[in-house]
Amino acid sequence: MLAQIVINGILKGGLYALMAMGMSLIWGVMDIINIAHGSFIMLGAFTTYWLFTLLGIDPFVSLIFSISILFVIGYGIQKYLINLIIRASAFITLILAFGIEIFINNAALVAWTADVRKVKVAYGASNFSLGDWVTIPTVRLLAFMLVIVIGTIFFFILNRTDLGRSIRSTAQDLDAAQLVGVDVARTYALTFGLGVGAAGAAGTLWSILFPISPMMGGILTLKSFVVVIIGGLGSMLGPILGGLTLGVAEAMGSTWFGSTYENLISFTILVLVLILRPKGILGGAD
Amino acid sequence: MAILQANRISKHFDGLVAVNKVSFVLNPGEILGLIGPNGAGKTTVVNMIAGVYPPTEGEIHFKGKPIHGLKPYRIGRMGIARTFQVVKPFPGMTVKENVAVGAMFGARGKRRSAKEAMEKAEEVLEFVGLADQKDRRADQLGVAFRKRLEMAKALAMSPDVVLFDEVMAGLNFGEIDQAVQMIQKIRHSGITILVIEHVMRAIKNLCDRVFVLHHGEKIADGPVEEVLNDENVIKAYLGKRFKELTH
Amino acid sequence: MKHNALRSFFICGLILIGMALFPLFTNNFIIRFGTDILMFAIMASAWNIIGGYTGYASFGNVVFFGIGAYTTAVLMEKAGFGFALAYASSGLLAAVFAILVGLPVLRLRGHYFAIATLGVAEAMKALVQNLEITEGNSGIYLPMLDMSVRGQYYFFFYMMLATLVACLLTTYILLNAKFGYSLIAIREDEDAANSVGINTTYAKTMAFSLSALFTGFAGSIYAYQQAFIKPEPAFTVHTTVKMIVMAVFGGMGKLFGPLLGAFSIEVISEILSDHFLVAHALFFGTIVILAIVFTPKGIMDIITERKLNVSYFLENIRKHRV
Repeated sequence: MLAQIVINGILKGGLYALMAMGMSLIWGVMDIINIAHGSFIMLGAFTTYWLFTLLGIDPFVSLIFSISILFVIGYGIQKYLINLIIRASAFITLILAFGIEIFINNAALVAWTADVRKVKVAYGASNFSLGDWVTIPTVRLLAFMLVIVIGTIFFFILNRTDLGRSIRSTAQDLDAAQLVGVDVARTYALTFGLGVGAAGAAGTLWSILFPISPMMGGILTLKSFVVVIIGGLGSMLGPILGGLTLGVAEAMGSTWFGSTYENLISFTILVLVLILRPKGILGGAD
Repeated sequence: MAILQANRISKHFDGLVAVNKVSFVLNPGEILGLIGPNGAGKTTVVNMIAGVYPPTEGEIHFKGKPIHGLKPYRIGRMGIARTFQVVKPFPGMTVKENVAVGAMFGARGKRRSAKEAMEKAEEVLEFVGLADQKDRRADQLGVAFRKRLEMAKALAMSPDVVLFDEVMAGLNFGEIDQAVQMIQKIRHSGITILVIEHVMRAIKNLCDRVFVLHHGEKIADGPVEEVLNDENVIKAYLGKRFKELTH
Repeated sequence: MKHNALRSFFICGLILIGMALFPLFTNNFIIRFGTDILMFAIMASAWNIIGGYTGYASFGNVVFFGIGAYTTAVLMEKAGFGFALAYASSGLLAAVFAILVGLPVLRLRGHYFAIATLGVAEAMKALVQNLEITEGNSGIYLPMLDMSVRGQYYFFFYMMLATLVACLLTTYILLNAKFGYSLIAIREDEDAANSVGINTTYAKTMAFSLSALFTGFAGSIYAYQQAFIKPEPAFTVHTTVKMIVMAVFGGMGKLFGPLLGAFSIEVISEILSDHFLVAHALFFGTIVILAIVFTPKGIMDIITERKLNVSYFLENIRKHRV
């Protein structure tokens, strides 16, 4: 019983980790709190839905499309909109992100109505048993493994490439990076593109596992906050640890208190972590 | 009796010892200098006195009462004012409002209304020679004026002790001389002063006594001439630069 | 100077009289629309105390609205309180809640404060959804106001108007007192404020609590007006966004900015939803984006500066782009 709960939690936690990776990157590098993050996840989910419904493309294959499309959207938004006021106070960029969120959600609402939809793949319900007492849904396991792959690629880009080096130097000191010849505007746009691309990937995986709708983004943004805050900013390990913690805590909480308590548990964790350990459970005490 | 006394105070940051068992006394009416190379722990000492963070160990007494561990505003209201090395004006307020805030909440703040604080601010601005700048926004001032505003804010608090943290850094020779005269004027008004300074000619012209920090430890304490000629001090810190500056 | 102040008082008085008289000459629909504007004006002005003057951008102020609404609902429906007592209790409870939450949360700065307050509001919504006394997601009914229909429209309009006037008057008085200076000093530089003798913890907690008081009052009137409330609209994050956008659009840290913002945003939204049934929220998002890019200081600034030209609108971009 307990093992099953923990495994369910870990599998969902992997998805949470992927959701939060993009948000953490954007926050850490540019000090932008991307309120619209959930909306980008929603766009990723709908990309997969339409590719599957209209063209019959397998959701896992559509991952490539959702990542690329969202990357381009993210790049454009940063380059032609957020970059215009990036040096203004953090509060200003926060409100801007809110405007973007409202815009995207309502555009999706106009285009696709508020209907809740499902990507109905044939293998959706298949699962296998481990021993006598643990059942693992195949799709969730596959999604979890993809999270690891995408996370690794992310880590590689940030730590082993020129782009990663310029991103990290820009995050540390914008003006110094500019002085040594980093094209900050482009780096920012690429960073936002990467973060939003990761959101697109999370959206694809989400659409395979859960129903989707244009308004699904709000709660996912909030969940991403919880994960980023639990894990703390500044490392790839943060979102992973935060995602797994939240996944397991929610799974346990909803088993013991009932699933309606899921949100109460996550937001209580959020507030408590912020008050007690504002740098995340990995960071030092304040 | 000493007005301000630090007794073997230390500060550790994440295991790093920034200040190590430093003691000193500040006598009423004097100007005490605190010098030392960058990273010696001078500002850390100021921050401990001002209550930005408590000392890891040791005690600080002001007029005989322990103040270590108190919040900055409590210490400010008791009569210790400070300036910040990197000046911290209230950028969106006018110069006069900046100074008035000091008068409203400092040592005599409780007894001043907002209006009386404005009058006090006028008085202080006159004293430091910023009267003709009073209606400008603080973020529009140049370096020298900003430093002076920083001093005015501290003075408006009607303090007994002022801690001046590098109020002359970035000033030219003329401006430094003006600042030195200003600090002397402040002393004559009955305020006890601790100056942290890199500018040696200022230290020489101002201080009755000086003590030296090096790697967080006190290595000398005494009359200015004596300390500046101390073998250890010259070796540790001053060296050639001191000679360049004094001769 | 004296002359100017006198003129401002005169103008304010005229506007107030105009606002007070206007329901007498119009239909119920317009009165109701005016009541909505006033409600948002209260919330935006209350947000201005903590977000605009003190510089702590709360993203959870809707929690005070929800607490106010639910306090009134529970007290009137379950404890048989009259509205007057329920109204007072709603504001006070919200204010006390703000103190309890504010003490730990106001130690956080910037983004962390914003997200913590957002988290508090969401946690409170989830709690109300699960509590028995609030009847969870099914919502809670209130006793109806025993008055003629026209009388009800008047009642809620004037309650909102009185609360707004109280909020603005309180803000005005505080601004000219030492307390106001302490808030602005905290916004401008909190460390410097502390070192200059300001008890920053006390000042910002009080500001948060005042902000909660008036938001709670608004929630109380809203609940009585609706006669039925549910967790989702009462605690929705969109209300927070709306009050912030109104405050920013009108002018943060300006006394009448939020009122102006509430009026213009509501009127624009109304016109848009008249013409574009589905897409009006899309336009709302566009307005938020354009406003924040081109006029982050709000319309109050445009009015007082009187520099209506292209370079004024491009100034924000010129200063802050990379």
